[in-house]
Amino acid sequence: MIFTPSILARVVAIVVLGVFLQLSFFSQVAIFHVSPNLLPALVVSLGLLGGSMTGAVTGFSVGFLLSCLLVEPLGGASLVLLACGYVAGLFRERVEVHSPLAPPLLCMALTVFAELGFGAVELMLGGGTAISGLLVRDLLLEGLYAFLLGWLLYLGLRRLLRPALVDVRPLRRPGRPRVLGA
Amino acid sequence: MYRKQVRRRRAVLALLIVGSFVLLTATYGSGSNGVQRGVSALFSPIQSVADGALKPARDLVNWFDETFDARGRNSRLQDELRAAREQAVGADAALAENAELRKMLALDGSGAIPSGYERVAARVIARSPSVWFADVTIDAGSDDGVEANDPVVNGDGLVGTVSAVTGGSAQVTLIADHSSAVSAKVVPIAVQGVIRPEVGDPGTLVLDFIDSTKHVHKGQSVVTAGWRSAEIESRFPPNIPIGEVVRASILEQEASQQVDVRPYADLRDLDLVQVLTGGSRG
Repeated sequence: MIFTPSILARVVAIVVLGVFLQLSFFSQVAIFHVSPNLLPALVVSLGLLGGSMTGAVTGFSVGFLLSCLLVEPLGGASLVLLACGYVAGLFRERVEVHSPLAPPLLCMALTVFAELGFGAVELMLGGGTAISGLLVRDLLLEGLYAFLLGWLLYLGLRRLLRPALVDVRPLRRPGRPRVLGA
Repeated sequence: MYRKQVRRRRAVLALLIVGSFVLLTATYGSGSNGVQRGVSALFSPIQSVADGALKPARDLVNWFDETFDARGRNSRLQDELRAAREQAVGADAALAENAELRKMLALDGSGAIPSGYERVAARVIARSPSVWFADVTIDAGSDDGVEANDPVVNGDGLVGTVSAVTGGSAQVTLIADHSSAVSAKVVPIAVQGVIRPEVGDPGTLVLDFIDSTKHVHKGQSVVTAGWRSAEIESRFPPNIPIGEVVRASILEQEASQQVDVRPYADLRDLDLVQVLTGGSRG
């Protein structure tokens, strides 16, 4: 990804908007008793489009902003989401998979990973409690939502950040060659 | 150049990871800090606006979820209601049965049923489909010692007599049946007569053939007479309650009294009865 001030502003806006959307909308709706988590899919999509560094930095930023707005210990969410973004970026850099299903599947897998990571951080911080078997169902549902959201998100972000993407053709088609004097 | 770039990337990654751990260590357990307060102060108005703006969309999504949830809950509640209703009906039936049995016990203890009779408890298992409610079938028969002409009572009083018996069941002709006739007396004045049904009104019996010189009054009780002669005796033991006088009128031309009696036993709603076996067999 080629970062220009315009692209940087777009990425910042995407990150802020994503966090607000998560806190104001997705966290407050429940589909089959489970709220979708947009943020891992957002970070994964940015990592897939921009590479491992972009993924890691946006993951850290999203986690930091999230922790600030939720007034919870800083760093935990950042650590988990930077890992998600970094892994997604590595996937883009190291694996040659061009299937359109790859981004949503990666969003799904890394969302589940992120949820487990959030749980691990909680346990690490001493928030140990009994774990219900329903957690598995919730994780699977979150993965499913991430698959659907990730698909749309990846396509939308790809379109939004198209000018900065080095491996994507420009949206505008070249015009038909004109014959001078015709 | 490439190596330098890789080193820089690794440094950034390491910085982020270390930064995360440092932040975690520094802010864990310390409540809100200056950074969080600043970010919150900066973004809170925007968050508030976003929250208000997205409320309709949230409500819409939650409406779908709650609708699905309500459908499932409705089905579950219906199942629970069905189970609760079955339990309630069972409990009501048990209570009614308990009350019935207590009344029977009270009748036994009152001395109304003379000694020499065995009591066979039975349940009404079938009822005459006619509107007269004159015959019922009980689930005790000859295997239980029941024989034809045995008197049948319930907790309220006389019900009828056994008219036919099989091994495991018996037919009971109620005192409201047109073929029934029970010798009875009015207490305490001891006027005797015969209780017959009033055709068309199974809730009323008529005490007939009584001495018109002894006046019967409303509210007096009618019990079985239980007469006995040298060779024969009534099929009913004496003093089993039958009913209460509800109307008494003197018929001048016939020199007799017309006495209407309302049976104590609810002949339309019999459930548990007792067959008195072992007495005299008419």
